[in-house]
Amino acid sequence: MTTTMTTTTTAVRLTGVTRRYGAVQAVAGVDLIIGSGEVVAILGPNGAGKSTTIEMLLGLVRPDHGSIQVYGQSPYDAIAAGRVGAMLQSGGIIEDAKVGELVGLVAGLHPKPMPAHEALERAGIADLGDRVFRTLSGGQKQRVRFAMAIVPQPDLIVLDEPTTGMDVETRRAFWQAMHAETARGRTVLFATHYLDEADSYADRVVLMRHGRVVADGTASEIKAGVSGRTIRATVPDADLGRLAALDGVSTVETRGDVVLLQCADSDRVLRHLLDHTTAHDIEVWSPDLEDAVLALSDAEEAVA
Amino acid sequence: MNLAYLRFDLRRMVRNKRLMIFSILMPLALFLVFGTHTEGARMDTGITAAAYVMVSMAMFGSMSAAMSSGGAIATERDGGWNRTLRLTPLKPYAYVASKVLLSLVLAIAPLVAVFVAGVAAGGVRLDTGQWTMVALTSWLGALPFAGLGLIIGYVATPDSVQPITGLTTMMVAAFGGLWLPVENMPDVMRDIARLTPAYWTGQTARSTLTSAGIDSRALLVVLAWTLVLGYIGLRRFRADTARA
Repeated sequence: MTTTMTTTTTAVRLTGVTRRYGAVQAVAGVDLIIGSGEVVAILGPNGAGKSTTIEMLLGLVRPDHGSIQVYGQSPYDAIAAGRVGAMLQSGGIIEDAKVGELVGLVAGLHPKPMPAHEALERAGIADLGDRVFRTLSGGQKQRVRFAMAIVPQPDLIVLDEPTTGMDVETRRAFWQAMHAETARGRTVLFATHYLDEADSYADRVVLMRHGRVVADGTASEIKAGVSGRTIRATVPDADLGRLAALDGVSTVETRGDVVLLQCADSDRVLRHLLDHTTAHDIEVWSPDLEDAVLALSDAEEAVA
Repeated sequence: MNLAYLRFDLRRMVRNKRLMIFSILMPLALFLVFGTHTEGARMDTGITAAAYVMVSMAMFGSMSAAMSSGGAIATERDGGWNRTLRLTPLKPYAYVASKVLLSLVLAIAPLVAVFVAGVAAGGVRLDTGQWTMVALTSWLGALPFAGLGLIIGYVATPDSVQPITGLTTMMVAAFGGLWLPVENMPDVMRDIARLTPAYWTGQTARSTLTSAGIDSRALLVVLAWTLVLGYIGLRRFRADTARA
């Protein structure tokens, strides 16, 4: 007997969601399912539709078409039930309030929050509770927003470009704090245009472009699916025609004796190089996510 | 009801000493100027002039305090704070209710200050029943102005809200007869006064001291003003929150 066990519940379900602002189709049909416990990055350039998608997911903006469910409820109901914590881009804070008051307020409005001081500690700003928000640095302000996002002990944390305005050090500390939250099993969705953040911290990357999802998978899937691997080898008197004809090779370039091969199946090409040529000093590397994103964006451009 | 938002507002208000002091000093100073050299004079209705001025200024104080909480709404709307609040379980109506409660809480300090000055400097003597009625009517008389503050808060921008609130408060207080008794003014001023809610809230509060007791017509007009201003305020609020 076989039984299908559904062990993961769906945190977020977007079906055919669109939103237009005047002449601009900000979101042009997004389908997205996020399981409970996933850490998902929405990646894309400015104007890709990331923020609008997130605003619709949070019930701040109504979609023109399509449906949005958060834990099987409308965004409004999910928020009312205290299941969502969110951190939006700049603005939206009463500047003359103290940090402790802001985090305490959000805690007080939710049904099962953690103590405000604990949220401050987790965000790494335990010493800033008595400071007035206006007097903080950009990075400190972002951490206050982060504390406000986690203090409800939400099932889903949504972050829109959380590290904008942070220096390298603060970014690293921020993601460490974030990592502690994901380790607690929370579902996390964050928008970013920093590729390395998506690469390092997300289980899954959703690449958006012109209001559509153009790729969806783990960072390594996206990298591999797009441009495979690059092989670089020193091959004296290489038969370029032969190499280009190999299965899985997309392009061949030479720089003197050095051959650069773009290939979808690098293992097969390697075997050939070792067995049938005098190739030496062989290096194989994956394109980074940036290459993948650029390639995907170009492909999208070509279609459009 | 969740009082987290009220607490949040109050802590910031108390920290804003300038606002607190101003809301207490203004009615207090006006009482000391107009209410302390009356030498036992009595109004036509039989209450002492000192008590009359005391109640009027108390009413003015609670009215100003109630109006000022509307200003906060204009600032909070502007900075995107509304968006942040919409990401919490706080219901929009609870937010408005919290602002109205805030109006009532802010009205307490100026009321107490003017009453204390009335006894200490104005020689006002009332029995417990009268104190209770005067305090209650001048305090709850803040409600129509809480509605007016709400409207201003949803119509004004952060830059314009202070002058608009200040001007409205002064006009309503002056023409409504809170600063100078309309009984001593030309008829046309009395007619104008009757068009303002302040005249009726003042009239209600002062009437509790007369032998005839509370002026039920004035009380009804105050209730009507509260409903009308509250209704418009809520409509403005709904239009504002439905913008997405």
